[in-house]
Amino acid sequence: MYKVNRFVILLMVAVLVVGAFGLTGCKKKAAEDKLKIGLVFDIGGLGDKSFNDSAYEGLVRAAAEFDIETIYLEPNDTGSDREELLRSLAEEGYAYIVANGFLFTDAVISAAADFPGVKFGLTDGYVPDLTKESNIICLGFAEHEGSFLVGAAAALKSKTGKIGFVGGMNIPLIQKFEAGYRAGAAFINPNITVIVDYIGTTGEAFKNPTAGRELALAQIGKGCDVIYHASGLSGVGVIAACAEKQKWVIGVDSDQYLTAKPEEQPYVLTSMLKRVDVAVYETIKQVVEGKFEGGYTSFNLAVDGVGYSKSNAEAIADIAERLDEIKGQIAAGTIAVPSNYEELNDYLASLGG
Amino acid sequence: MTPGGKSLKLARRLKGATKYAILDAVSPIVAVLFAMAVASIALVIIGKNPFQVYATMVSFSFGRADSVASIFFKATPLIFSGLAVAVGFRVGLFNIGVEGQYLMGAFLASWAGFAIKGLPGYVHLPLVILAGALGGALWAFVPIWLKVKRGVHEVITTIMLNHTAFLLLHYLIFDVFMDKSQVVVGGAGSPRVRMPPIELSARVPNLHDALAVFGINLPAHAAVNWLLIGGIALAVGVWYLLWRTPFGLELRTVGHNPRAAETAGIRPQVVYFKAFLLSGAVAGLVGLSDLLGYFGYLDIDFPRGYGFAGIAVALVGRNSPFGIILAALLFGFLSRGGLGIQVLERVPMETYVILQGLIILSIVVASEVVRRYVRAQQKKEEAAAHAEP
Repeated sequence: MYKVNRFVILLMVAVLVVGAFGLTGCKKKAAEDKLKIGLVFDIGGLGDKSFNDSAYEGLVRAAAEFDIETIYLEPNDTGSDREELLRSLAEEGYAYIVANGFLFTDAVISAAADFPGVKFGLTDGYVPDLTKESNIICLGFAEHEGSFLVGAAAALKSKTGKIGFVGGMNIPLIQKFEAGYRAGAAFINPNITVIVDYIGTTGEAFKNPTAGRELALAQIGKGCDVIYHASGLSGVGVIAACAEKQKWVIGVDSDQYLTAKPEEQPYVLTSMLKRVDVAVYETIKQVVEGKFEGGYTSFNLAVDGVGYSKSNAEAIADIAERLDEIKGQIAAGTIAVPSNYEELNDYLASLGG
Repeated sequence: MTPGGKSLKLARRLKGATKYAILDAVSPIVAVLFAMAVASIALVIIGKNPFQVYATMVSFSFGRADSVASIFFKATPLIFSGLAVAVGFRVGLFNIGVEGQYLMGAFLASWAGFAIKGLPGYVHLPLVILAGALGGALWAFVPIWLKVKRGVHEVITTIMLNHTAFLLLHYLIFDVFMDKSQVVVGGAGSPRVRMPPIELSARVPNLHDALAVFGINLPAHAAVNWLLIGGIALAVGVWYLLWRTPFGLELRTVGHNPRAAETAGIRPQVVYFKAFLLSGAVAGLVGLSDLLGYFGYLDIDFPRGYGFAGIAVALVGRNSPFGIILAALLFGFLSRGGLGIQVLERVPMETYVILQGLIILSIVVASEVVRRYVRAQQKKEEAAAHAEP
C-alpha cells in the first residue's frame, strides 16, 4: 500500500497549501451601495490593441471619474456563454452592462427582456424597434464619416491620383468604411481612382497579415501611393508593405501611429478613429447622471465618436486645416456622407453632375 | 485443490477487487483536490482567497436551478463528442475530426431544418437529426476511405478536414445560404452572417414541462433540452453495442490487436470502416443541442471546440460510455463554476482556464497511475496465487 500512502500524503500537502494561502488571501467585500457597471468583451478580450481595449479605456475613465464599481468579463473560448454572462451580471445588481460586439445581439435581446430594470449597451449591434423607454441602447458608430475624412486626406496626399482600400471581411459593416472613404476621396478629386480589395469572406480575414501585405503590395504595384485599411490585425501587413515601399498608409479604429514599429511610423499618415471608449464612457455617464435613454445612438464626427488622428504631426500638418474644415461641414450636415454602395453611387453621381 | 482453498482464493480476489474499485473512485477526487491546490497558487498571486473562490464555485454551480440546468446543457454536446471519440479509440483509431464532423452535421441539419417546410414535428425533427448524423458520417467517410484503401493515417486527414469543414461552412453560410431577410436600418449595426432560422417543427423542446411533472421548476431561460436525454440514451446504446453485440466484440478485438483479430477471422478493414462511420455519425449530433435547442439558426459564430473537448472528455471518462457522461458533467460544472467565480469573485477568465486545465490533466494522470498500479498488483497477486499449491 506504499503508493496509496503517497496519495494520502499528496492530499495532506494539497490541503495544507490551500489552507496556508487561504489565510493570507482574506479580503473585504466591496461596498454594496455603489452603482455597478459591467463590461463584457467578446472572444479575444483584453489586449487586442483595438476594439476591446478601447472599450476598456472608456470603463477605466468612467471608474476614475465617478463613484462606481466596475467589472469586466470575457466569454469562454467556444463563446457559448455570452447570454449567461449578461444574466449573471444583471442578477448581481449591475445597473448598466455593455456588451462589446454585435455577436451579443441575441444574448442582449434575451437578457434585457428578463431584466427590465437593468440597462444594456450593445456595441455595433442592432436591435429592432427600440424606443427611448427601452433598456437597450445600440452603440453605433458613423464609421463612414471618419472614413470620409481619411479618404479626403488620401486624395490630398496622393500624387499619382490612385489610392487603395484594403478591407477585411466583406460584410456591410466594412463596406460602410469603403463607401465613406471613396466618397471622401472623390470629394477632393472627382477623377481619383480607388482600388478596392477585400481579404476574404470569413472572420479569418481580420487576422491575416500576410494577405494584407500581398494585397497592399499589389495595389502599390498598380500605382497607389496611399492605402487605407479596415482589416483588423491583417492591417499589420498593410502597414508593413507601405512602409517597405515608402508609401502612405492610413490606420483604423485606434491610433495606429502609436502602435506601429518605429521604422514604420513615418509612413502612417493618420488613422480613422472609432472611439468605442467615448461610447462606453458617455453612456456610463448618462447612467450615473440618471439620463440614460434607450434606442440608437450614432457616435459621429459631431460628438467625436469617430475622427482622425494627428499624432504623425509632420505628415498631417499641411492638410489638417482642410480636413478640419470638411469635418465641420459633415458635423453641420452640409455634407451627407454615404454609408453603403447605393448611397455612394448617388453621391458620386451628384459630384459628377 | 480443496473447496476451502478455492473459496479463500475467491474471497481474496474479491477483497482485491473492492480495494481497486475504491482506489478507482477516490483517485479522481484526489486529482481534483491536487489540481485545486496547485491552482490556489495562481489565485493567491492575483490576490484572491482560494477557499472563498472554490466555495463560490461550488455554491454557484449547485445552489441554483439555472446553474444545474446550465451544467447539463453544457454537458450535452460533450456527451456526444466524447462518445464519438471513444468509439474511435475503442477500435484503435484516433478521430480528431469530430470538430469538423459536427460542423458539417450542424450544417446539414440546419439546411434540412429551414429548407423543408410544412412537416409535422414528429417527422421533421427526426429527419433533421438524421441529417446531422449523415453530415458527420459523410465528413468521416473521406478519412476512413483513405485509411482503408490507401493506408493514409486518419490523424492527418481528420485534422486537415477540420480546417476544410470550417472554411467550407463559412462559404456555405456567407455565399450560399445567407439569411437575407435581416433588416438593418440606416446603417446601424450589421446583419448577422447566418443561415435562415430553423422551422419551429424541427426545434428540440426543452425539459421544463417534463421536469415540472416531478415538481422541478426551471427558469424560463434555461436551455437544457431533450437532447440531453438523447445523449444519455445514446451512451447506453453505445455501451450495449460495444459489450453486448457480436459487432462490439469485433470492434474491441480489432482495437486491442488488429492482427490477432484477423487470425480470428475478423476483417479489420471492414470493422474500421463501420466503426469510424459510426463515430462520425455520432459526431454529427454534437452541435444539435445548441442548434435546435438554443440558437435556432446556424451562424459563423456557432460554438466551436466541442470536438477537441470531446477528446479530453473521452480520456477523462476512460472511453467508457458512462464515464463519458460523468466527465461531460464535470466539464459542464467547470464551465459554469468558472463563470460564477468570474462574476462573483472577479477571477479573470485566464485564471480559471488554468484551473480547468489542471483538473483535467490531474485526472488523466491519476487514472493512468492507478491503472498501472492495479495492473502491477494484480500480476503480483496472480503470481502469488500460482505459487500457492
